[in-house]
Amino acid sequence: MQGARAGGWGPGLPAVDRRTLLVCSFILAAALGQMNFTGDQVLRILAQNEMQLSLLRDLEGLTPQKVDFWRGPARPSLPVDMRVPFSELKDVKDYLESHGLAYSVMIKDIQVLLDQEREAMAKSRRLERSTSSFSYSSYHTLEEIYSWIDSFVTEHADLVSKIQIGHSFENRPILVLKFSTGGSERQAIWIDTGIHSREWITHATGIWTAKQIVSDYGKDYILTSLLNTMDIFLEIVSNPDGFAFTHSMNRLWRKNKSNQPGIACIGVDLNRNWRSGFGGNGSKDNPCSETYHGPYPHSEPEVSAVANFITAHGNIKALISIHSYSQMLMYPYGHSLEPISNQEEMYNLAKRAVQALYEVHGIKYLYGSISTTLYVASGITVDWAYDSGIKYSFSFELRDTGRYGFLLPATQIIPTAQETWMAIRTILKHTLRHPY
Amino acid sequence: INSKKECQVDLEFTTEHYNPEEGEERLGKCSAQVFFKNEKPRPTINVTCMRFMEKSKRQQEDYLLYKHMKQLKDPLDVISIPDSHGHIDPSLRPIWDLAFLGSSYVMWEKTTQFLHYYMAQLSSVKQWKTDEDAIDFDYTVLLHEFSTQEIIPCRIHLVWHPSKPLKVKYHCQGPQAPEEASGIEGSAAAPTMGLTNY
Repeated sequence: MQGARAGGWGPGLPAVDRRTLLVCSFILAAALGQMNFTGDQVLRILAQNEMQLSLLRDLEGLTPQKVDFWRGPARPSLPVDMRVPFSELKDVKDYLESHGLAYSVMIKDIQVLLDQEREAMAKSRRLERSTSSFSYSSYHTLEEIYSWIDSFVTEHADLVSKIQIGHSFENRPILVLKFSTGGSERQAIWIDTGIHSREWITHATGIWTAKQIVSDYGKDYILTSLLNTMDIFLEIVSNPDGFAFTHSMNRLWRKNKSNQPGIACIGVDLNRNWRSGFGGNGSKDNPCSETYHGPYPHSEPEVSAVANFITAHGNIKALISIHSYSQMLMYPYGHSLEPISNQEEMYNLAKRAVQALYEVHGIKYLYGSISTTLYVASGITVDWAYDSGIKYSFSFELRDTGRYGFLLPATQIIPTAQETWMAIRTILKHTLRHPY
Repeated sequence: INSKKECQVDLEFTTEHYNPEEGEERLGKCSAQVFFKNEKPRPTINVTCMRFMEKSKRQQEDYLLYKHMKQLKDPLDVISIPDSHGHIDPSLRPIWDLAFLGSSYVMWEKTTQFLHYYMAQLSSVKQWKTDEDAIDFDYTVLLHEFSTQEIIPCRIHLVWHPSKPLKVKYHCQGPQAPEEASGIEGSAAAPTMGLTNY
């Protein structure tokens, strides 16, 4: 006699679907940390007749509950699947055996299966199948970006490779993409984005730029000439800890996540931690400040990783550090008003780059030295780079000018990246044509 | 002008509709003198505009906005406009606009020749009352301060009726000293804890 039974499953549902449904709900419960199914088994019993079926139904009625039917006793010749908790296994198996009920073990340990399924689900969520399903007009999480990097490098292995240059304070890998057509110890360009984690448009621009480089190679004569003799290094997430924090807790977090014992505030401004005019005006020695320079130059692993890499490489000829917002293209110095020795050359180059940018979408940028265009800032990346001999050191402040600020709508990602690329390309062209 | 103690900035700018429509002309050309004295905030501003919108038309537009806002459903459960991705739901735009109006007053009060501000985000709405005559709006914004890069949370209470002057009361959180900080991560983060959906 068929009646609706609590938790019962009609014979109509195929076993696989029901099982998946149950497994999924168990995953949810297990994920919520509520239940543990270690050692639990799922037994499959083929009842020969009504009497055997009713023996099984008796099991169901027991309190405290000894079994949990995934596929309840319905008709003879239809298998009965039941989950037996580890603690009841012996009793239940004895019961089945003593009544001549043949059974097989369908699932030896549910918890193992749950763990595997949960892992698989998480994994497929994390990984994109390929970079063609990755949206360049959206903002992404750290995991999505790192996963995209792996796909990207695989798809363009002839041109791109991934280098880990260190790890962050919270032990996340710091990754750099290397674009190279071969050679060894070639002169190179360095580009970084995301040193301030809340400047999301910069990471997004970095990603788009990477794609642009591989698609333009062989098509754009400037980029092709450049890559035929020089390499490009691109660090997209320069502050992975800060970036993760902007997703999890505080969208407007700027610094890294380092902390020193006994100091209540967290984080150092990575763009004040460089060994050039360190500790001067435009940086603070208050750990709670957004422009806290840190205890000493290069104290931060995110900075020392880059500084050491660039120094060890020894052949970087241009450095471009990308920030937002303000719509500016600037060159050193930040720490002083004193002009650099090739100020005129840099001014003219910035002017041309800004013009190239403007021609894409009509966006106007200011340009000049950092201290005279934006504000005095000490211990910054481009000052260090310039003092280390990298003549063509530039800093970008991307869109906008304050309307949305850091929360730039995702719809502006691609236009911003497109125009920025034209400015970068202008700088690359100049670097290529003025070797030193 | 004594340049040690005073600073004058001359500006020329054009204005347009806050939410311009396609093909709409720029409204007017303006020039302004902004005068900072003794490095103090609240600069004096003299503005003259040409071809500005007629007063009656301005009043009409204000009333339209006012009526539109009175019909909005209560946004109390809304936080973070724009969201992390810079998105603003079109139905919530007027709230953001009005928040900006109040914030612009606060920012003017704080602006000096060395410090200027932008409204980074409307982080929460405490109260939105439209049952009486005026719109009574109590909210928190995050201001982004140049050149310190600090994020300043400000609680603002504004009362707006198109035919009356805007009333604004506010309180901004002061800077955090190293000794004051508690164990909560992030100096300016405390009021922004619920900021994202992630």
